[in-house]
Amino acid sequence: MRTLAALGLDEATRAGADYADVRGMTLDTESVAVRGPEIEGVDRGTSRGIGVRVLAEGAWGFAATSRLDREAVLETARRAVAIARASATVRREPIALAPVDVQQGTWATPHARDPFDVGVEDKIGYLLAATGAAAATPGLTYARATCDARKSETWLLSSEGAAIHQTVLQVSGGLACVAVGEHEVQTRSYPNSFGGYAGTGGWEDIVALDLEAHAPRCAEEAVALLTAPELPGHVGTAVIGGSQLGLQVHESVGHALEFDRILGHEADFAGTSFVAPGDIGRLRYGSDLVGFTLDTTTPKGLGTFGYDDEGTPAGRHPLVVEGRLVDVLTNRETAPLLGPGRQSNGTMRAESWGAVPLVRMTNIHLEPDVGTLDELLSDTGSGVLMDTNRSWSIDDRRLNFQFGCEIAWEIRKGRRGRMLRNPTYTGRTPDFWGACDAIAGPDEWKVYGTPNCGKGQPMQVARVAHGAAPARFRDLRMGVR
Amino acid sequence: MNADALARLADAAIEAASDATAVEVMSSRVSGGVTRFADSQIHQNTAKDLWEVAVRCVLADGRAGVTSISSDDPADAAVAGSRAVALARLAPPDPSFAGVAGPVPTPPSPWCDPATAATTAAERAAVVAEIVTETAGVSAAGSVATDLTECVVRTSAGADLYGARSGAQINLVLTGPASTGHAESGSHAIGELDPARAARRALGKVRAGADAGPVEPGEWPVVLEPSAVASLIQYLGFVGFGAKVVDEDRSFASGRFGEAVLDPKVTMVDDALDPQGRGFPFDPEGTPKQRVEFVRRGVLTGVAHDRQSAARAGTVSTGHALPPPNPFGPLPMDPFVLPGDGGGIDDLVAGTERGLLVTRFHYVNVLQPKETVLTGMTRDGTFLVEDGRVVRPVRNLRFTQSVVDALGEVREISSETGYGTEILGGGTQLPALALPRFRFSGATDFG
Repeated sequence: MRTLAALGLDEATRAGADYADVRGMTLDTESVAVRGPEIEGVDRGTSRGIGVRVLAEGAWGFAATSRLDREAVLETARRAVAIARASATVRREPIALAPVDVQQGTWATPHARDPFDVGVEDKIGYLLAATGAAAATPGLTYARATCDARKSETWLLSSEGAAIHQTVLQVSGGLACVAVGEHEVQTRSYPNSFGGYAGTGGWEDIVALDLEAHAPRCAEEAVALLTAPELPGHVGTAVIGGSQLGLQVHESVGHALEFDRILGHEADFAGTSFVAPGDIGRLRYGSDLVGFTLDTTTPKGLGTFGYDDEGTPAGRHPLVVEGRLVDVLTNRETAPLLGPGRQSNGTMRAESWGAVPLVRMTNIHLEPDVGTLDELLSDTGSGVLMDTNRSWSIDDRRLNFQFGCEIAWEIRKGRRGRMLRNPTYTGRTPDFWGACDAIAGPDEWKVYGTPNCGKGQPMQVARVAHGAAPARFRDLRMGVR
Repeated sequence: MNADALARLADAAIEAASDATAVEVMSSRVSGGVTRFADSQIHQNTAKDLWEVAVRCVLADGRAGVTSISSDDPADAAVAGSRAVALARLAPPDPSFAGVAGPVPTPPSPWCDPATAATTAAERAAVVAEIVTETAGVSAAGSVATDLTECVVRTSAGADLYGARSGAQINLVLTGPASTGHAESGSHAIGELDPARAARRALGKVRAGADAGPVEPGEWPVVLEPSAVASLIQYLGFVGFGAKVVDEDRSFASGRFGEAVLDPKVTMVDDALDPQGRGFPFDPEGTPKQRVEFVRRGVLTGVAHDRQSAARAGTVSTGHALPPPNPFGPLPMDPFVLPGDGGGIDDLVAGTERGLLVTRFHYVNVLQPKETVLTGMTRDGTFLVEDGRVVRPVRNLRFTQSVVDALGEVREISSETGYGTEILGGGTQLPALALPRFRFSGATDFG
C-alpha cells in the first residue's frame, strides 16, 4: 500500500498539486450479533483503497478509488488535481496550511489480544451466554448482544515528507434487553446504548465487560420500565449519569467547538455553532466547575490514535477551563485563522480511505471533580437521576437540545428511589452547563465510545469518545411532552 | 457502464462459494462527486470510485456467513466467496433461512441518465457558480452532488439482475444578517435541476425570515412544506412499516391492519419506481421492488417485506431487504404520501386562520418508537400565519409529537409537490400538509 500511495503522491505533484497527501488504507471489520438463542449475523469485510487530497491553485481536491492497480492510482491522483482546479473557480482566497512538524513514524493501538485472532465460535458463545442469562427474566421480549472489531492499517504520505504507518484497533460490544408492552417498547442496555462499549484495544476489553453477569439486571429493568410511572413534566434538579453526559458533551460541546462548523463549513447539513471565532478566551461556557479537554492520547478512547489524517501527532488540549472557552478543534487549514503561528490540534479524520478528512471530535472529555455518585446523590437530597441515552436532538446552532434516556429514578432523601420511565430533558447549552454545580470525581469517570457521529456531505461516520462522570444540574426542564 | 465487469465479480464469488447450498452475491460500483460550498466558495470537492462485492452463503442446515470486499478484481471476489463459506461453517444452524431468490425478469432501470453519470467537477463547480451569482449579498452554503450506482445481484438459484441509477442533487442553505433560508432539488438527471430556481426560493426564505420574533410553544395548526413532510414520513416508515417491527409488536401498526388510524385523506405508499422518486429497481436479495401501500385513505393496509419476513408471514417479498447482516428487517426506503387536491403551499396557507408555516425540520429523532413520538427542530424559515397570510417570521421551535397522532386529522394535502429529503433515505417528491394540531414543546432565541 505504501508503494501505491507513493505513486499517487508523485503523480499528484507532477500534475500540479502545490500540496498533496495520500492515504492508503486496509480496513478489516467483523460483526457478530445474537438475538435470544439465535445467531442474527456474522460478517467480515475488507475495504481497501487510496485517497488523494491535493491543494492546487489555492483550492482543495480529493479523489479516491478502490481500484488498486497502477493506472487507477495515477488516474485518481490526476483527478484530484483536476477537482482542485475546478474548486478554484469558485474561491475568493487561496487556502493556506498551518505549519506542521513533519512526522515519520509508526503507531499501533496497544492491546493484549487481537480480536481477529479470536474464533467466531468463541465470540458467539460469549454473546449467547449473555442473552441466555437475560432470557430467564419473565416478561422480557428479547435480548440482543453484539461484538464488533475493526482494524485499520494506513499509510499516510505527504508532499512535505510525512510518512506515517498507523494501525488502529477498535472493539465494541454490548447487550440490549427489550421489553414490548401494549403501547411502548422499553430497552435497557449495558454498558451503554447503541452497541454498548466501544474503544481502542483488544478482545480483553470485551471479555472484561462480563455481559453475562449484567444481563439479569438489564433484563429486569427493561421489564420493570413498562409499568414504571412516567417522569412527570417539571423543572428541578437532575443528576445525569456519565454515559448520557458523554452524549451531552458530544452534541453541545464537541460539535459546537469544531472550528470548521463555527466558520460555517457545515451550514448546509447539521448547521453551524452558537460559538463565534471571537468567543475564544471570552465566552463563559459553563460554571466554574466545568472543564472540557480534547485528548487524543486517552488510553482506550475510541478517538485515540498516534497521528491524525494530516499527520499531526496526538496530544492533549484544554478547550474549556473553569467554565471559560479557551480553544476549539482545528486542522491545518483553520488553525491559522486563530492567529499567526497557530498549529492544528490534530482533529482531522476521515471515515475511510474513500472520504476526505474533516475536523472531527476524537476524544472530548468533561473533566471530573470530586466524590462518588453516592455522595452526589446524598448531597442532592431530592431530584431525578437519569442515564443511558435513548434519543438525541439539537438545533442547527448547537443551542437547544432535547435528550431522552432509557431510565430514571427519583432521588429521595439522598438515595435512589423508585424507577421512572421515558425520562427526557431539554435545555440551552450555556444555561445547562452554567447550572452544573457538582461533578463526581475520577473514580466515577469513564470513557464512553460514540461510534455513530455523523458529519459532512457525503456524510461520514466517525468513531469518537467522551470521558465523563455523573454530574448535577439545577433548574433543568424534564419530562418534556 | 459496467454490467459485464460486475457480473464477472459476482460469478467469481459464486464459484468460490460452491460448497455452499445457496449463495447470494451483490457486486456494485458507486461513483460520483460532491462539490460543497460555504461562505459562497467551494471548500470541499470530492470524488469516489468504489467497487464492492458482498457475499452471503448458506450451508444445508441454514448456517450462514456474510463477507464483503472492496475490489474490482475477480480474484478478490473469489476470496470473499471462500471466506463466506468458512464463516458459515463456524455459525450455528439457522432454521429460519428462507433461501435465495430464483430467476426473475430484470426490472427496468428507468432512472439512469448517462449525462449525470459523466458529470465532471468543473460542471458541478459551474452549478455552484450560478448559485453564488444568484445569491450575491448573502452567504451561500450547500452541495451539488452527482452519482451513479450500478449493481448486479446473482444467486446460485439463478437470479441474475443488473440495475443502474443516477442521481443529482442540490442542497442550499443561505444565511443573511438575521435569518437563514433553504431549498433543495433532486432528480435522476442533472439537466432537470434548476439551480437558479433553488437559489431564488432560498433567497425568498432569507428575506421573509429576517428578524424573527417569538411565539409561544404549544399546540399549533401547521402547514408543513415538503421537506418537513419528508422527515415525518421517513421516520414513520422506519418505525412503523417494516414487517419485522410489525411482527414483533414493536410498531403502532401491529395487530391493527384494516383499522382506520390516519385521516381518510392520507394514502401512504413505498414505490421505488415512482417517477417522482429515486429508487433502485431491486433489493440486495434480488427481488424486484414492489409498490407497497401502507395506508389507503387512512386505513392500514400493508407492510414492507424481505424474503425472511415474507416466508414467516406466508407471503412474498416486496423487495425491501437491506444488505445482510440486517438486524432491522425490511424497511421502506422510498415512502410517499400521495398528493391531495389542496393546490399549492400558498393555498394551504390561505386556508389557515392562525398557524405556523414550517419550511423544514432539523435533527429529528425517535423518542418512543411504538407511539411514533419524534422530536426535532424547525429550521431555515418558520412563519406565523394569520388570516390566510404569512404575517411574520418566528424563531425556531422544537416539536415533540406522535406522527400517527399528527396525521390522524389532516386539513388539506397539497396537489403540488416539492422535493424533500431526510437523513434516513433518498429524496422524493412530496406534497405539503396542513394539520390542525402539531405540538411544539420548546422555543429558541434565534430564527
